[in-house]
Amino acid sequence: MTSSELRQRVIDWLDDNYHFGDAQNLIKDDEMSFLERGVLDSLGFVQLCVFLEKTYKIKIDRKSLTRANFDSLGKIVRYVTAHKDYRGPK
Amino acid sequence: MSTSGGKLLCMPDPDRIQRSRMTAFRSWVSEETGAALADDHALFEWSTRNVAAFWKLFVEWTGVRLGGAREPVIEGAEVETATFFPGAKLSYVDHVLRPPADESADVEVVIGVDETGAREALTRRELRRRVACYARELTSRGVRPGDRVVGIARNVPRTLVLYLATLSLGAVWSSVAPDMGTELLVQRVGQVHPKLVLADLSYPYHGALRENVRTDAISELVPGCTIVSMTEVEGWAPAGESPELTLAELPFNHPLVILFSSGTTGLPKCIMHGAGGTLVEHWKELALHCDLGPGDRLLFHTTAGWMMYNWLVSALVTGASIVLYDGSVSFPHADSLLRCVAEERCTVFGTSAAYLSYCRDAGLEPRSALDLSSLRLMLSTGSVLRDPMFEWAYENVAPVPIHSISGGTDIIGCFVLGSPNLPITCGESPMTSLALDVRAANGGGFVRAPAEGSVVGELVCVQPFPSRPVGFWGDEDGSRFHESYFSQNEGVWTHGDTIELTSRGTARIHGRSDGILNVRGVRIGPGEIYKVLELFPEVKSSVAIEQRAPEEPGGSRLVLLVVLADGGPVPRPLMLRIKKELAARTSPAHVPSVIVAVRDVPRTHNNKVSERAARDAANGELPKNVTALKNPEVLREIMADPEIAIVRENAVPLEEKN
Repeated sequence: MTSSELRQRVIDWLDDNYHFGDAQNLIKDDEMSFLERGVLDSLGFVQLCVFLEKTYKIKIDRKSLTRANFDSLGKIVRYVTAHKDYRGPK
Repeated sequence: MSTSGGKLLCMPDPDRIQRSRMTAFRSWVSEETGAALADDHALFEWSTRNVAAFWKLFVEWTGVRLGGAREPVIEGAEVETATFFPGAKLSYVDHVLRPPADESADVEVVIGVDETGAREALTRRELRRRVACYARELTSRGVRPGDRVVGIARNVPRTLVLYLATLSLGAVWSSVAPDMGTELLVQRVGQVHPKLVLADLSYPYHGALRENVRTDAISELVPGCTIVSMTEVEGWAPAGESPELTLAELPFNHPLVILFSSGTTGLPKCIMHGAGGTLVEHWKELALHCDLGPGDRLLFHTTAGWMMYNWLVSALVTGASIVLYDGSVSFPHADSLLRCVAEERCTVFGTSAAYLSYCRDAGLEPRSALDLSSLRLMLSTGSVLRDPMFEWAYENVAPVPIHSISGGTDIIGCFVLGSPNLPITCGESPMTSLALDVRAANGGGFVRAPAEGSVVGELVCVQPFPSRPVGFWGDEDGSRFHESYFSQNEGVWTHGDTIELTSRGTARIHGRSDGILNVRGVRIGPGEIYKVLELFPEVKSSVAIEQRAPEEPGGSRLVLLVVLADGGPVPRPLMLRIKKELAARTSPAHVPSVIVAVRDVPRTHNNKVSERAARDAANGELPKNVTALKNPEVLREIMADPEIAIVRENAVPLEEKN
C-alpha cells in the first residue's frame, strides 16, 4: 500500500513534467533503467529528488543520488521507503 | 516595491582596479575632456550627458577601424530614429579575425568542447582560413550581400565559421538551436525568407543522438529556400586550401544579424541589428565592464540561437579566447559544464540563475571538487539572480565577483552589468551600461537614480544608443517596431522590464513589466501558448503568466489559467494533453508547471484579457488599478487557488534550506 502510493506519485510526476501521459507506457517494468531508456536525464533526477524531498518531508543526501539508488522506479521506491524520515503516504 | 540595500558580497581587487581597462579609459577620457571623473559612476554620469562625445572617444580609444566619415557621431536626436556614424563604414569580421598586436600564432582563440569531452581548437589563422573557405562555398551557392542565411545549428566551431563567413559577404545571419520545435522554428525561419538554411539534423544530448529538425516541414513551409546538412558543410574547408578572404567595408549600420524574440502577441519579432552598433556596444561591455582582453578565456553557456552567442563571439574582438560548449551540462558528470570551465582554464564563466539553482539542488560542490582557480569573474543572465544565489555561488563555485547582467535580444546587449572596479552587492548589478541613459519611469517622469534610497519603475532609455535595432525584418513602415518599444512612452525606448536604481549607482532588475514570460531564462510569448490552445475546444479562454517561485530553477514558474467550456476543474487527461501538445509544438519551456481552472480570466472594460492583473494576483498582489477591470472578483479567486498559493506558502529561505 505504502509503496504503491509512492510509485504512482513518481509516475504522475514524470507525466506532469516530462512524458505527459506516456510515463506508464514507457516504463515497461519497475527495474527498467531510467537513464538508459531516456525516461529522465540527470537534470530531471535532481528535480525529482527535490520533489520527493518536498512531498515526503525527507532530506536526500546528494551523495546518494546515484544510479544504484534512483535509476528505476523500483530503486526509487525502495530508497524512499527505507529512508529514516519517511512517514508513509502523503 | 523597493528592495535595495542587499548584503555586500565582495570588494574589488585593488590590483585589478589599478590596471583595469575601465580605469585606463576613465583616466584617458578625463585627460581628453578635462572632466573630473572620480569613479565609474562619475564616468557613467558623464557618458549619459555626453553621449556623442563618449562614443567618439571610445571608438578612438579601442581603435575601431572606420572607413569613410567619422563625423557626425550621431545624426538625429530621437531614440527611435537617430543614426550612429551615418557616414562611416566597417567590417565586423575584420575586427574578429584581426589578431591583437602581440598575439602568438599558436594561441587557441576558439575552443569547442562537447559533452563527450571531444575538443576542437582553432588559432586565429585557422579560423580565418576556414572562414575564407566557407565564404567561397556560400558565394558559389548564390549567397549575396543582404541575403539571409539561417543556421539551425549546434554551438560548435563549424557554426561560428559559418556565421563569420556569412557576415564576411555582407549577408545577414540568423540562427536557432536545433532542439526547437518545428512550429516555433518555422515561425522564425519562415519570416526572413532565407536563401540558405544550414541544419544540424541531429545533435548529441545526454549521451544520445537526438533528431529533431524536420527538413520536410521546413521546405514545405518555407518555400524557395535550400537546406544544406551540416554533414556536407563539414567538407567545405579541405586542409591545405587557403583562398583569399575579401572583407569589404560596408555602411556602419548595415544589417548584421536577425534575432528572433517572442512578443506578447503575434509572430516572433525579427529584430535586425546593425554591424557597427553591435560591434561597439559589445566591445564596450566586454572590454570595459568585464575587463576582457588578451589572455582571458570566456565560456558563456549559450546555444547558437541566443543573443549571448553573438555577444560571446564578439569577445574575440577584445583579443580574448572563447570556449563553445555543446550538449548537456550534466552529462556524463553532474558537473560536466563546470569541469569544462576548469579544464579549459577559463577566466570568465557566463551562466544563468537556472544553472546555478541546478548546481545547488544537485548538491554540487565545485569549489572543492574542481580546480577553478583560473576564474576571476562569473556572469549571470537570462533571469533574475536572487540574493541568496550570489552567496551560494560565491561560497560553492568560486570566491570571485558575480555580475548579474541584463538587457536582451532587443538591444543585443546589456542595460545593467558590472565593473572590475566596483563592489558586489547581492541581488544587484554594480552599474548601468556606460552611455546608455537608463531611467526608471514611475509616473513621476523618467527618473535617474536618487540621491538617497532607490527608485523603482519601468526601464526606459531616454537617449540614442548604437545597438538599438535598425528595424524589424518585414516591418516596412516601422509600425511594429514603434509599437514594440516607443508606443508606451513616446520618444524613449521602453524595454519591458522593471528596474530599481539606487543612490549607490547600482541597479536591480525586478522582472518583466509586460506580459512576456521569462521561464528559466527562456523568453516566451504568451501568444505562442494561446495558439496551441486553439486546438482544444474544451478551453474557452486562457491566460499564461509567470509566477515568482523562489525555489524553482530561475526563480519563477509558468502558470496557465484556463476557463473551461464545461466549467469545473481541469480533468487530468486534458491537462496532460495540453502539456504534451505544448512540448511538441513549441518547446519544453512552454509547458506550464500548473494548469488551473478559473471561472473567468481578468478582463478590462474593453474585454481585453489582462495578463498583468492575473500575474499580480498570482504573486499575491492586488493590481494597482483594479477599477480598470470589469471582473475584479476573479483576482481573489486566483490569489486563493491552492495550486497557486502553495508556491508563496512553501518559500523557504535558502539559509534554512541548507
